[in-house]
Amino acid sequence: MARVVLTSTQTKNFSEKEIDEAVARAVDLLGFNFSGEIENVVIKPNLCYYWDYSTGETTDPRIVSALIDYVRRRLVKDVNIFIAEADASAMKTKYSFKILGYDKLSRRKNVKLVNLSDGDIVDVKVNVDGKEFELPVNKILLESDLIINVPKLKTHNVVRITCALKNMFGAIAKPRKYDYHKMLSYAIVGINEIVRSDIVLVDGLIARGSIPLKLGVLVAGNDSLATDFIAAEIIGINPRDIEYLSLAERERIGTVSSIEIVEDNIKLKEIKNKFPSFGYSRRKFFWEMQLKMLRMYAALVGDVIPPVLEQ
Amino acid sequence: MLRVGVIGLGNMGKLHFMNAMRIKEVSVVAAADKSERSRKFAEEYNVKTYDDYKALIDKEELDAVVISLPNFLKKESVIYAAEHDLDIFLDKPLARNFAEAQEIVQKVEKENVRLMVGVNYRYFPSVQKLMKNFEDGKVGDVVLANSELVMNGPLSHGLVPVPVPDWWLNREMAGGGALLDLGYHLIDIFDLMFSDLRVKYSGLGYRFNLPVEDTAIVMLESGRTLAKCVVNVGWFSKMIFPDFNFRINIHGTVGYDSTERYAPKNLRIHAVKEAALNFGRKISGRKVHYLSYTYYYSSFYEVLETFFEMLKKGVESPISLERQLGVMRIIDEVYRQHGVRANG
Repeated sequence: MARVVLTSTQTKNFSEKEIDEAVARAVDLLGFNFSGEIENVVIKPNLCYYWDYSTGETTDPRIVSALIDYVRRRLVKDVNIFIAEADASAMKTKYSFKILGYDKLSRRKNVKLVNLSDGDIVDVKVNVDGKEFELPVNKILLESDLIINVPKLKTHNVVRITCALKNMFGAIAKPRKYDYHKMLSYAIVGINEIVRSDIVLVDGLIARGSIPLKLGVLVAGNDSLATDFIAAEIIGINPRDIEYLSLAERERIGTVSSIEIVEDNIKLKEIKNKFPSFGYSRRKFFWEMQLKMLRMYAALVGDVIPPVLEQ
Repeated sequence: MLRVGVIGLGNMGKLHFMNAMRIKEVSVVAAADKSERSRKFAEEYNVKTYDDYKALIDKEELDAVVISLPNFLKKESVIYAAEHDLDIFLDKPLARNFAEAQEIVQKVEKENVRLMVGVNYRYFPSVQKLMKNFEDGKVGDVVLANSELVMNGPLSHGLVPVPVPDWWLNREMAGGGALLDLGYHLIDIFDLMFSDLRVKYSGLGYRFNLPVEDTAIVMLESGRTLAKCVVNVGWFSKMIFPDFNFRINIHGTVGYDSTERYAPKNLRIHAVKEAALNFGRKISGRKVHYLSYTYYYSSFYEVLETFFEMLKKGVESPISLERQLGVMRIIDEVYRQHGVRANG
């Protein structure tokens, strides 16, 4: 059975101690079995762009720091821990690791930073809903013994929510992920078929909906799809209205028929009420309408459209 | 008709390209960029393209060039254009550092060509109104002035995501960070208002752990008026167009003034209003105020038009190179205080 744990920090100061305790509580309550042969651990945060944790866009390095300590405590031995992220259309990990504080973290905790777009990359065939395609994947993901997925709790302009499954889309080795946008749901489900996350720990310290908001929430899960279903519920969207989640459910990427929700010190309803709702359809409609009107105006008057708005 | 070549077709180069095409008696005859995608952009307007700016200068018969190249290519491109007797419009900053700026200015003076730096912030309606009130003495003698300009800088995210070019985040190639990129505008405006500026205090910030600063605070004092001016700039803020975080406040012996008083309160309402006015201008045969609906980008049109007017009329440039050297000297001084200098 899928289990999803909801916990929160005591205050919104987010001291290291508070974060350490919340991370430990969340993963403890998940009841993950750390007893197997674990040598290589990959932690995949969401470092989608150069906007740091305070914007609610990228994973707070203090959560990853707490996770590293937790994993070391639980495994009681020296294992290889990698913090991994791939280059993206507009993001190079060589900068995001620096800008977002992961460079410092890796030195402080003696863990390795890995650019998933570099090194041994293999094209892996995958079949999603009868559609066969290949995705380039770094071997480090295929050969790891434990994958900890640390996504953000936030909304997304294109796919509406981005959490565990979408965070792994960021692990595809090809930097120009924009090229997958025409088959985005298939690519998201495909990479999660290839690389399964063992533990999901969602960073909702600063959640981002219509605005960034300090929620102080962590959501842990042993199943990416189940965790995403709960994240969608928090955000206020029916998960089955999200194309890639429906596709993932059909493809049995996870279990959503029975999800055990463990409410530690906060209720699901409480988080849901606090989340800054997005009004996705309304925003999308107004934004697209503004762009259409702008193009019409520019064509009629002969005015210039700034290159920043080029598509 | 002025025959113009556009060198560099990044975001700013593309904007200059489109603006130049709308300026009377200016013909954009060619453009150059290393990127094939950028060249395709110019070719869509039936403009001949080159992948090397030197080939463009060698092969085309031109009167002037608009240069929007990365900072590390400014000196060589300006010198090459000057040696070919071309007048030059150059995106700010003038150079990576004061020494390089001096070389550029000496060269254009020696070759007797015109060079204008595109300090577009001077052309914001709100800045012009503030400066007019200041010049008219409406606030009295200004004792304190404060300015703020905070945005994403090179870390901005367009509709189509593209990686930040490496040179922006390399001190040697860029010459500096937020201070050189954004502080340049504010120092230019304060220099225009008060002149003879000296650095009294400065601080640089590195929240993003990059080789270039993402934050800078500089306090300047005018040797002429003793006005104290503070420049606050940053690249650290996630901002999406059309949001714009810029203001200058001046406090004088009579009262105070602020660009906030003259900037649109709501940029979307401003856009609709300006679009309607432009539509009226178009159908009544009057001149369209290009990009005025954006508030921010219209200043790029204004400064480029000023450059071409200067060439057509053979008048003095309103943006003197001596003052631009002064801006570079101040920025150099700040970097020297913090032990950081760009090669050049």
